Amino acid sequence: MRIHSYCSYIFLFFAWITDIRTAHAQQELMLHQQAQLWHATATNPAFFPTDKKIAIGLPSYGLDAAHSGNITYNDLVRTEGDRTVIDLGKAIDKLEPANEVYYDKRFETVSLGLRLGKQWYVQAGHALRLNATVNYPKALAELFWNGNAPYIGQTLNVGFSTTTFDWHELSMGLGRRFGETLTLGVRAKFLSGISSLKTDDSHRLISVYTDPDIYQLTLNSDYAFYSSKTISAIDTSGLGYDLQRNATENGFADNSGWAFDLGAQLHLGKRLTVDVSVLDLGGSIAWKKNTNYFQSKGTFTYNGIEIPGTDIINGTVDSLDFDAALDSLNDVLQFEKSASEFSSDVPTRIFVGATFKLTERWSVGGVLHHQKSERRGATSVGVNAQWAPLRWLSVGAMYSVNDQSAANFGLSIVLKPGPIQVYVLSDNALNAVTPYGSPAVNFRFGGALVF
Amino acid sequence: MHYSKWLRLLAPVLALASIYPACNKAGLDDAELADHTAEYAFPLLSTTINLEELMFQVLNDTLSGDTIVVNPDNTMTLYYSGDVAEKPATDIFEFFKFPPNAPIPVPDTLYEFPFKVPDSVYIHRADVLTGQLFVLINNTVLTDTVTGNFYIPQMSKNGVVFKHPFKVEPGKIVFSQEYDLAGYNLLSDSNTLQFRYEAFLPDGTKLERIPASPDGLPGVGVLLNNFTLSYVEGYWGFSEYPLTRDTIDIDINQTSLKGNVKVKDPKVTMTVSNSWGFPTRGVVKYLSFIGQDGQEYKLESTVFNGDSIDFAYPSLAAGEVGQTKYTHVVLDSKNSNIADIFNAQPVQLIYEVAGISNAKRDTSIVGFLTDKSTIALSMNVELVLEGSVQDFGAEQTLNLAFGDYSDIDTANIEAVEFKLVTVNGTPISTALQLYFQDADGSNIDSLFQSQPRFVMEAAPVDASGNASGEKRTETFVPMDVARFDRVRQAKQMLLKTFFTTANGGMTPVKLLATQNATVKLGLKVKTQY
Repeated sequence: MRIHSYCSYIFLFFAWITDIRTAHAQQELMLHQQAQLWHATATNPAFFPTDKKIAIGLPSYGLDAAHSGNITYNDLVRTEGDRTVIDLGKAIDKLEPANEVYYDKRFETVSLGLRLGKQWYVQAGHALRLNATVNYPKALAELFWNGNAPYIGQTLNVGFSTTTFDWHELSMGLGRRFGETLTLGVRAKFLSGISSLKTDDSHRLISVYTDPDIYQLTLNSDYAFYSSKTISAIDTSGLGYDLQRNATENGFADNSGWAFDLGAQLHLGKRLTVDVSVLDLGGSIAWKKNTNYFQSKGTFTYNGIEIPGTDIINGTVDSLDFDAALDSLNDVLQFEKSASEFSSDVPTRIFVGATFKLTERWSVGGVLHHQKSERRGATSVGVNAQWAPLRWLSVGAMYSVNDQSAANFGLSIVLKPGPIQVYVLSDNALNAVTPYGSPAVNFRFGGALVF
Repeated sequence: MHYSKWLRLLAPVLALASIYPACNKAGLDDAELADHTAEYAFPLLSTTINLEELMFQVLNDTLSGDTIVVNPDNTMTLYYSGDVAEKPATDIFEFFKFPPNAPIPVPDTLYEFPFKVPDSVYIHRADVLTGQLFVLINNTVLTDTVTGNFYIPQMSKNGVVFKHPFKVEPGKIVFSQEYDLAGYNLLSDSNTLQFRYEAFLPDGTKLERIPASPDGLPGVGVLLNNFTLSYVEGYWGFSEYPLTRDTIDIDINQTSLKGNVKVKDPKVTMTVSNSWGFPTRGVVKYLSFIGQDGQEYKLESTVFNGDSIDFAYPSLAAGEVGQTKYTHVVLDSKNSNIADIFNAQPVQLIYEVAGISNAKRDTSIVGFLTDKSTIALSMNVELVLEGSVQDFGAEQTLNLAFGDYSDIDTANIEAVEFKLVTVNGTPISTALQLYFQDADGSNIDSLFQSQPRFVMEAAPVDASGNASGEKRTETFVPMDVARFDRVRQAKQMLLKTFFTTANGGMTPVKLLATQNATVKLGLKVKTQY
C-alpha cells in the first residue's frame, strides 16, 4: 500500500532518531577533572599523568547524547514479548513544536604517550568520532504516527535538518613543561571523513496541507541535502522513499581536514591547578569525493481525479483510474541528484578548569565547558570533589548545570591497580545507569596502561 | 589482604560489566511499529458541470433541428424546429385534365372546349410547362382530298397563334406531327378553350365540317398528352376544400430521462408558408397533441378566429409571383393551453386544416398559382429554460479502476468514510444513488443504504427564479470494513441522479448558461497497525 511505503521513510527517520538515543553535549566534565587519567588528555593536550613516562591508551568509549525536552528512549521503544516495537504514542505528547537531538560519540581505539626528559612529551592516537545534530518538528512525528486526517486544515511542516558525520581522527601532539608550574600542549589532528549527511538549511521545507474541503493534498517541497557515502539514490516511485545506501567506501584521504587542540595547565602552588584548552580548533572536513547533492523542489496539489464536466456530459468518462492520477505525485517528490562538494565543521570545544587539593585523599574543583557547532552552542559548568580512599581507587562526584538541566549529578570511579587505569565516568550518573529512561546520557569508560 | 588482590584485578572487569546492560538493551534493526491507529484523508475525484454544456448535450442528443441561444442576460432559449408538412397546389387544384390517349373531338369548325377547373375558379391565363399536341384529321367519309388549317386561337407562343395546316386524301385518317406545347400561353375568360378549323375540297369548296365516320371517330380531334402548366392566373371565388390532415413528429422530449418537468411559458409558433397567389383562409378542423403518456391533448387557443385564420399570400397585383408569404401563429400560455400540453412532453402534433379560397368574396382579386406553389405548415418551439422539475432522472454507468486501492490489505483498515461535497450554483437539487457493480453489472453495494439522498441542495432562488448564490452540501458516508471491501472490488458503478428544482420542484426557476455545479468526493481511511 502506498500509504505504508510513504511512511516507511518516516519510520526510518524515527528509527534512526531512536537509535541515536539521547544525550546532550560532549562535555566530558568528569573526564576533564581526572587529569591523572591518560585519556584526560583528550580534553587538554597539556595533560600528562604525573611522574609517568609512557602511556598506552586502551580503547575508550564516550557518549554524550540528548534529546530536547523530557523525552526518553523508553518513551519511544519498548519490548513486547520477543519483539522490539517503536511507539510514538507517548512520545508525541512530550515533544516540543521544534525538537533537537544531539549525539556525539568518541571511540578512542588506541593512543600512545611518551615523556621525553623532564620537559617534553609527545603523544599520538587514533579515534573514531561521530557527531550528529538533528532538528525535527513535532509535526513530522504526528504525521507519521497519526496520519494526516487529524490535521485537516493545518499546514504541517515536516522538514527536518541535520548535520551528521563521522570520521577517523589521527592525532599527534607535543607538550612542554616550563619550570614547575606551566605546561603547554598542542595537538594536530588529521581528519578522514567516513560518511556524512548534511541538510541544506536554505532548502529545508517539506510541508503537507490537507484541505478541509475533500482532503485535497498540497505538498510543498524545497528540500535539499548533501551526502557522502550515506545515500546514493532516492527512489520515490510508488509514493515511497526508498533510500539506497551508497556502497562505495570513502578512501582514507578522499575527504579530509585538519583540527588543532591547544592547552595549558598551570600549577599555582602545591594545591591549586588551573587549566584551559581549546579543542578541535579550525576543525573542518572537506567532502570532495563520493559526494552528492540531492534536491527536491516543487508544489503538488492532488485534487483526486479531475473529470472534465464535458466528459461527464458527453458520457466519455468510461473509467476512473486512481492509479494514474497518483503517479504524477512521484514527479514532485523526485530528488534530483548532482555532484557537489561541501564541508562539515567539527564542533569547537573550550575547557576551563581548576582543582584544589585539600588533603592527600580529597580534592575539589570546578570546570567550565563550552561547545560551538554548526547547529548549536552549549555551555555547562560543574563543581566536583574527589576522594581516594585507597591508593588504587578514587571516586568522585560532581554537580553541574547545563542548558538542559540544572540538576546533573556526576560520578566517577577510577581504578588504578598498578599500571592499569580503568575508569567509568558520567556527568549525569543517574542517566548513565538508566540511559533509556533519561532524556540525556553521558558516560565515558576506558582503560590505559601507564608506566 | 588476600581478597584485596583479587578485588583489584576483578575491579576493572566488574566496572565494565556493570555498564554493559545499559548499552545492550535492545537492537533496533528488527524493530516494528507498535500497534496504533492512524487516519488518512485524501481526495478521490471532482468535476464541475456547466449548465449550458449540460443543456446542449441533453437536448442536442435527441434533436436535429434545434439551437440553444444564450441570451444577453445569460438565460438560455431552446429553439426547436419540427418537421414541415407541405401541400403543393397541384394536390388541391387540377386544371386541364385531358383524357389520356383519347382525342378531344372537335365536332364543328368552331368548338368551345370547356376545360376542367376547380369550382369557382375562372382561368384568365395559363402557361404551358409541358405537353405534346396531335391533330387528328379523319377523311374516311368524303371522297375528295381535304385541305385546310386547324387553329387554337387562345393558344399562342411568342405572339403566334397555334396553327396546323393539313391535307388528307380520301379514306385516310392522319395524325399530325407532335407539337411541343412548352412555352405556349393560353388565354381565356370563360374556362373554355376554342378550337377552330377551316377545310376545303380540291375545287375550293369550303366544307361546313369534316364529317365523323360512322364508327363515331370525329372528323377532327385533338390529342393532348403530358399536359402541365407552369402558371395559372385567374379569379378564385369562394370555395371550401380540404387542405391537409397530417401528423408532425415532435422529438424534443424523447430523451431517456424521466421525471415531472414543468417548463414555464413555452412558446410554440406555427408557421404557414404560402406561395398560393390568392386569399386562402385556413380552418382548423382538428388540432391535438399526443403526450409522452399517449394521451391526447386538444389545443385550445384564442388566436384562431372562429377556428380559422387567414393566410398571408403573394399578390399578383403587387408583383409577388413566386414569393412565399408567412403567417405566424404564436401559441403561448396567455392565448392557449400550450403550456399544459408542452409539460405533457408531446411527441406528435395531429392537425386537419381545411381551406377556403377568397373567403371574403372579393371579386376584384386576380390570383395565380404556379407549378411550385405550396402551402406548408411548420412548428417551432421557443423554450426559455425556466421551469421546474421533480425527480427528473438520469443514469450513467462508469467503469472503475481502483488500482492499488484494490490491493489494500483491509485487515489493517478499521473504517472508511466518504465525504461528498457539492457546490451548487444552479437552482436544482440533486438526489443521488451510486450502485457499485461487478463486471457483470450486478449490484455489489450502494453508496446509501436505502433511498437516494439529496446530496446537492438547490442554490437559493430569488423571486424571479434566479439562483442568487451557491449552496454547499456536505454528505458523509461512513462504511465499515466489510462494505468497503466490497466497494473497492467494484468494476463499474451505476450513477442515478434525480433533479428537483427549488422548493421541491414547486417554484419555476431559470437556468443560466453561467451556472455550474461541482461535485467532489474525498475519503478518510482509518487504519490499525
